[in-house]
Amino acid sequence: MKEYDGRIRLIFKDRPLAGHALARPAHEAARCAGAKGKYWEYHDLLFEAQPAFERADLLLYAGEVGLDRAEFARCLDERRFAADVEADVRQAVALGIMRTPTLLVNGRRIEGAPPLEEFRSIIEQALRERR
Amino acid sequence: MSRAPNPTRRSPRVYTIILACALVFSAADLPAQVELTVAPFMAKGPADAPVTIVDFSDYQ
Repeated sequence: MKEYDGRIRLIFKDRPLAGHALARPAHEAARCAGAKGKYWEYHDLLFEAQPAFERADLLLYAGEVGLDRAEFARCLDERRFAADVEADVRQAVALGIMRTPTLLVNGRRIEGAPPLEEFRSIIEQALRERR
Repeated sequence: MSRAPNPTRRSPRVYTIILACALVFSAADLPAQVELTVAPFMAKGPADAPVTIVDFSDYQ
């Protein structure tokens, strides 16, 4: 969505679903990458690689984005970001968000990933409402 | 023997908490007013952008 550069702020929130056993470590791993300035690179890799999220996979991806694997492993094994992921989950639950993805576009809730044209239309509407 | 803490060294988690900001969403589509914490590295785009998209997703 390069065409909206400068007009959109995108915020990612962790919403690992309970039935996805490998999701939570992946979300924690992304935050470990984020703490080292590689959040979005790692985030994109996770979406490309899903559902290969075993510990060895997560460490491999860390190396692929240029992170120190030993340091990354410590962050992951110590679960440094477990509480932060849990906080996101609690906020999602408080909002009644039980499906993923769920998007809030200026507070308007959209469940599921809309087709690109529909998503563009939603953004255009949000932009018009802010003018 | 205990070592004195090094004040210049901060764990990533502390760094995140210090920089964390908060959004409050209250819209007709949402059931309640909920304060959303935002880790700065999980946000991109200008803070004053006219459109904010919050993406709740599951990697798996």
